[in-house]
Amino acid sequence: MRLLKAPDMRPVFNSEGLGDLMNAFLLQYLPVIIFIGVATVLGLGFMIGALVIAPKAPDTEKLSAYECGFNAFDSARQKFDVRFYLVSILFIIFDLEASFLFPWAVSLFDMPNGGMHVAFWSMVTFLVELGLGYIYVWKKGALEWE
Amino acid sequence: MTIDLVHYLTVSAILFTIGVLGIFLNRRNIIIILMSLELILLSTNINFVAFSSYLHNVQGQIMAMFVLTVAAAEAAVGLAILVTFFRNRGDIAVDDASMMKG
Amino acid sequence: MTVIAIAFYLLALVTLASGLMVITAKNPVHSVLYLILAFFSSAGLFILLGAEFLAMLLVVVYVGAVAVLFLFVVMMLDVDFVKLRQGFANYLPIGLVVGLVLMGELVAISIAVATKGAAAGNQPLVATAAEPNIKMIGHALYSTYIYLFEAAGFVLLVAMVGAIVLTLRTRPNVKRQDIFSQVTRRRKDAVEIVPVKTGEGISE
Repeated sequence: MRLLKAPDMRPVFNSEGLGDLMNAFLLQYLPVIIFIGVATVLGLGFMIGALVIAPKAPDTEKLSAYECGFNAFDSARQKFDVRFYLVSILFIIFDLEASFLFPWAVSLFDMPNGGMHVAFWSMVTFLVELGLGYIYVWKKGALEWE
Repeated sequence: MTIDLVHYLTVSAILFTIGVLGIFLNRRNIIIILMSLELILLSTNINFVAFSSYLHNVQGQIMAMFVLTVAAAEAAVGLAILVTFFRNRGDIAVDDASMMKG
Repeated sequence: MTVIAIAFYLLALVTLASGLMVITAKNPVHSVLYLILAFFSSAGLFILLGAEFLAMLLVVVYVGAVAVLFLFVVMMLDVDFVKLRQGFANYLPIGLVVGLVLMGELVAISIAVATKGAAAGNQPLVATAAEPNIKMIGHALYSTYIYLFEAAGFVLLVAMVGAIVLTLRTRPNVKRQDIFSQVTRRRKDAVEIVPVKTGEGISE
């Protein structure tokens, strides 16, 4: 929203202090709330529609687990490979790295007291630290799928 | 009906208590213990952000960011230890983890 | 202001209720889902406080990554979770006593700080279009808190290396595709021509 056209958040109409400012600020999130509302209505609508309309005739044979004609041996839950977990950990780490990039990218060009160079090189150091980690991960073969 | 700092601090206090209670109640299930730790860190984050907002000082939000970083790293390493423990023992009962040797 | 009050009470109630469900749900998968709900609604609380960037961070990092990690682990480990709930009722009385005492103390301190402290009577800080929340964070983070920022980088590095050292096991007898060696393989590496005399064959 702010990217399209930043609405001036100072209260236009009769200013009463911070209360109006807060209301104007929260009013910016109205589209988000509308989206959440529409999503909820749609999701619930489909679920309730399926409950009401769909034909239901349950019996034990239909509801039991199907395994080639005989009774199921054990639960359907299966252990899966630890590599999925490793990928997920690496995702968290680089997700956080990216989240540190956002405020840097927004505020780099108007740092107070001419701190632009310090800010720039601090981020370079940060990226080098995580780049070293990335090289380690690559060399260890944690990203390879076998 | 205005929402003050004390409202947010109360929410944070109750959430902190829920986290501590979770550690008490689920002493055998280490996954729930880790989730309770996340709840505790979330309550400290609410505290940091509430103070930051009401003191008109952005430092609290920066600390909350670091808490978030540490919490994510803690979850990653904690669950990695859990996975290794499960692989070695075939179980995740914390009571059996008192022997560290061998 | 009443809209803000309604939003606050709704979000706070959802946060606390789902926090309670995290620790009491029988199925750990449900616990993870309630954890996601707790994080999501406290992101709403952060927006009420004017901390928009942290709210986004909470949704992206926690709901997007940490909760998925927990779900992976709960589903990856094939554990009998019913057995792990033993002792739940045993610890309930002492847990409730300790919890209530702790909560009473925390709330008492909170009220004292909020009514007499430096923040008493203040309104929450609201970002303006000229100085949005993310910019304020950036200005402080990349000037005053540079060392903490680099330390955060090291924490992430150590977490990454630690997780890999702990969980990665390369299995010895698995054939992998190695494109470089496959492409650079020449005829003389693979084929050997041996002159064979008639009727003698090759030893070896």
